[in-house]
Amino acid sequence: MSTVKLKNLVKSYGDVTVVQGINLEVKAKEFVVLVGPSGCGKSTTLRMLAGLEEISGGEVSISDRVINDVAPKDRDVAMVFQNYALYPHLTVAENIAFGLRIRKVPKDEIRKIVADVAETLELTPLLERRPADLSGGQRQRVAMGRAIVRHPKVFLFDEPLSNLDAKLRTQMRAEIKQLHKRLGVTSVYVTHDQVEAMTLADRIVVMSAGKIEQVGTPMELFNSPANTFVATFIGSPPMNLIEATAEVSDAGCYALFEGQRCLLPTLSQLSDGEEIIIGIRPEYIEIEPVADATAIDVKIDLVETLGSEALLHCKFLDKPFVIKVETHGQLTHLENLNKLYFRQNAITVFDKKTTNAMIASDKK
Amino acid sequence: MSFKENMNLYSKGDKAFVYLNMFLVAMFTISTLYPFIYVASLSVSLGDAVTAGKVVLTPVDFTLAAYDKVLSDPAFWTSYANTFIYTIGGTIVSLLIIVPGAYALSRPQLAGRKYWNMMIAFTMWFNAGMIPFFLNMRDLGLLDSYIGIIIGFACNAFNIILLRNFFEAVPASFEEAARMDGANDFQVLWQVFIPLAKPALATITLFCIVARWNGFFWAMVLLRDESKVPLQVYLRQIITQLTDDDTFASTLITASYSYETVSSAIMICSIIPVLLIYPWVQKSFNKGIMLGGVKE
Amino acid sequence: MEDINNSLSTEDSILVKKSKWLVMHLKKEWQLYLMLAPTIIWFIVFLYKPMYGLQIAFKDYSVFKGITSSPWVGLEHFYTLFDNDQFIRAIQNTVMISGASLIFGFPVPIILALMFNEIINPKFKRTAQTIVYLPHFISAVIIAGIVITAFAPSTGVINLMLNAMGYDSVYFLTKPEWFRTIFVGTGIWQEAGFGSIVFLAAVAGVNPSLYESAVVDGASRFQMMYKITLPCILPTILIMLIIRIGNILEVGFEMIIMLYQPATYETADVISTFIYRQGLQAAQYDLAAAAGLFNAVIAFLLVITANTISKRVSKTSLW
Ligand SMILES: Nc1ncnc2c1ncn2[C@@H]1O[C@H](COP(=O)(O)OP(=O)(O)O)[C@@H](O)[C@H]1O
Ligand SMILES: [Mg+2]
Repeated sequence: MSTVKLKNLVKSYGDVTVVQGINLEVKAKEFVVLVGPSGCGKSTTLRMLAGLEEISGGEVSISDRVINDVAPKDRDVAMVFQNYALYPHLTVAENIAFGLRIRKVPKDEIRKIVADVAETLELTPLLERRPADLSGGQRQRVAMGRAIVRHPKVFLFDEPLSNLDAKLRTQMRAEIKQLHKRLGVTSVYVTHDQVEAMTLADRIVVMSAGKIEQVGTPMELFNSPANTFVATFIGSPPMNLIEATAEVSDAGCYALFEGQRCLLPTLSQLSDGEEIIIGIRPEYIEIEPVADATAIDVKIDLVETLGSEALLHCKFLDKPFVIKVETHGQLTHLENLNKLYFRQNAITVFDKKTTNAMIASDKK
Repeated sequence: MSFKENMNLYSKGDKAFVYLNMFLVAMFTISTLYPFIYVASLSVSLGDAVTAGKVVLTPVDFTLAAYDKVLSDPAFWTSYANTFIYTIGGTIVSLLIIVPGAYALSRPQLAGRKYWNMMIAFTMWFNAGMIPFFLNMRDLGLLDSYIGIIIGFACNAFNIILLRNFFEAVPASFEEAARMDGANDFQVLWQVFIPLAKPALATITLFCIVARWNGFFWAMVLLRDESKVPLQVYLRQIITQLTDDDTFASTLITASYSYETVSSAIMICSIIPVLLIYPWVQKSFNKGIMLGGVKE
Repeated sequence: MEDINNSLSTEDSILVKKSKWLVMHLKKEWQLYLMLAPTIIWFIVFLYKPMYGLQIAFKDYSVFKGITSSPWVGLEHFYTLFDNDQFIRAIQNTVMISGASLIFGFPVPIILALMFNEIINPKFKRTAQTIVYLPHFISAVIIAGIVITAFAPSTGVINLMLNAMGYDSVYFLTKPEWFRTIFVGTGIWQEAGFGSIVFLAAVAGVNPSLYESAVVDGASRFQMMYKITLPCILPTILIMLIIRIGNILEVGFEMIIMLYQPATYETADVISTFIYRQGLQAAQYDLAAAAGLFNAVIAFLLVITANTISKRVSKTSLW
């Protein structure tokens, strides 16, 4: 099984460095998702891995072989493109067989392999159709078929679902996940959609401006973001952030903001009077008193219902603040809410200057 | 725009406008068509009737005598065959040069791509002109040769740019996907780009065919040997000799055909192949020409 | 000393790096350069080499000495040219004929496109378009042949009509005063239909909701054509006009060669036919090359100007 290693990977266009030294190890059979806002260098990283983009600095290796100067076709990787890149003049079967034909695999063998792949992806009845006659989901599956037919060491995906509508995206997401489980091929997947990242990944790599912000399992990122960027990028709605001043005494650590005083996890590096940002996930805010929780006065501006859940909107220091609660089929009690409870362990503290998390709040 | 089709919804003035417009378009169309009908009628009328000034629209005293005369002239067949050689050979050579060239020029990985493209485009704005071109052909020993005509006019900036723009518009992922599958440049071009560029290629092919079929000036200048001239040059000789040289004209006059009917017959023979491929020409330029042509 | 050595070695290393890169690049992409080669070679041999040959415009060219060894004569050929009434006349005729083609010929395809757009019956529209595009694809020889036949003194349909109306026959093609009319008219007949394609494409790009809101406002078809379609395709019209003006020195000289004769040189002889006669028929290569160079330089300047203007126009007028 194949591992992928990126060592200090750099890409510059002229003076602009768009990938600024990426270090990453993908284990065999692992499904790693690169996620980050548009333009942060995810595709560029992936394309350097594929050999479609020249490497300006650093090293890419697959199975411990450095492949910087190896042509894409000899890297034994397969890629699914955002627009699928299905050849409109070829049928589904011919599209899937394209790579095999180029590699001069005997015709009989091609037929067998294509039939197998079609079976796996439930494309058998569509083999003679052309891409123009397929639905979005079917095209997506053909693109996958073209990738898996070669039994590559590594799968690369560049936003493969972003051309589909929301419902289909959810469905195809599940299919990709299942396929990965079945084939167990090391995969690197690029998306700007954090939901996709959370649902698909064994490990997520959050990128911004050409750098890695954090690497971790979905739950690690969710519960212990390394900095405010990750905190606001992962999760929907994002983590709430409030600027505050630290108060450290023997009684413990507190955050002061808007005349309120909130108990923080005990952090040794926190000093009295330090400027901090406290973060708390909308899901982790209580509306009933619980142990170790500080009561915070609040005025709810708006209640948005999602059915079983509701979003409560309010403001702290003129910044929006969102609470996600279960409705239990009732709304009236939420509108008149005037107290929230921040549990000590649900709070993440960030250094205001560096925006880095001071220490991960204990796992919930 | 269903309102556009439904005439019942039109006001009286609009109806009048629509019909007047249709009438004017019809007039223009007829006046475009008329000269061809006129020539066709001349070619199948009796020489005497034409000389007497009786043929204006339809054939008078139908006869194929002029065609007999034309088709029995070996020089006609020679020139006709030559035109086919120049057209087919020229088009093939053109495509062999233009298609790979346009592909290479469309690839971002081509070093100095901007300068190569400028070198091509510059010839659209400036060319050395007739005399240096002629002297160059002479110095290359390409006077009076099939090769000279076929190679010397194989390329032009416009066709290359048209096709290059088309290739540039192909999403990069098509090439990338093929490369990851192990295709080299020739395979990418042959198996991916050429099939994708079919409309543009059809347009260029047809442009080449038509230009070759119709070309006469350089054939006239470069070819001295009668046995190598194409149909257009042969036709020109007939037509200009008719106007310049009365004795030649008189040799062409008999009761059944006159020089008008004979030259008309040659013209019709030359138009017919164009008419035969015209449906394809029209189809392709309706969709193809705008694709790459406008964006320079 | 050391400094110099250092700078030399860094320069060297840059060179080495660059050549290393080139070797790597060529190793990887040689196929691309192989594909490009025929095109580039063709352009060099058939278009750029003649540009080198243009120097005979400043030389006393002798076939035996060849281009390079013929002696320089400076601007002599240009003085000769501008003392030559025929050349001056050819310039005048070029501008006159082109100008007339522009003034009378430019609006026709626009009007035609507008009219095509107003046709409701698609079959009628398609048939009419098929027919009016056709002459563009017919060779100059045949078009000229048709003109010569139709204008023939005793048997041509034009004179037959004149006779029927009680007029005498006119030897049109020998009359200088008729040449421009016939030439420009033929040009319009041949190219107007095909020329309308560009404008039809522009018309097709007009946002249909403009018409829909106009219908709701009760506009007539003519008003819509005049007030919506025409203004919407104005940028295209402008650009095409600029391009045409830029190409004003370009005349369909193949047709002129077919149609003109010594009797009509007075109005028919243009720069390219002058070059053809002087150069290719009278073998005065150097003089003709000078005329060609003059023509090419002026044309180049015009085209560049037109291009610059059209780029500016199309940028600012793009919505
Ligand atoms: N060929 C190029 N030349 C210059 N800049 C580029 C090029 N390709 C991409 N970039 C820049 O690199 C950055 C990263 O792009 P990309 O990797 O495509 O981002 P994304 O994370 O959205 O996939 C972007 O800011 C983009 O503008
Ligand atoms: Mg991207």
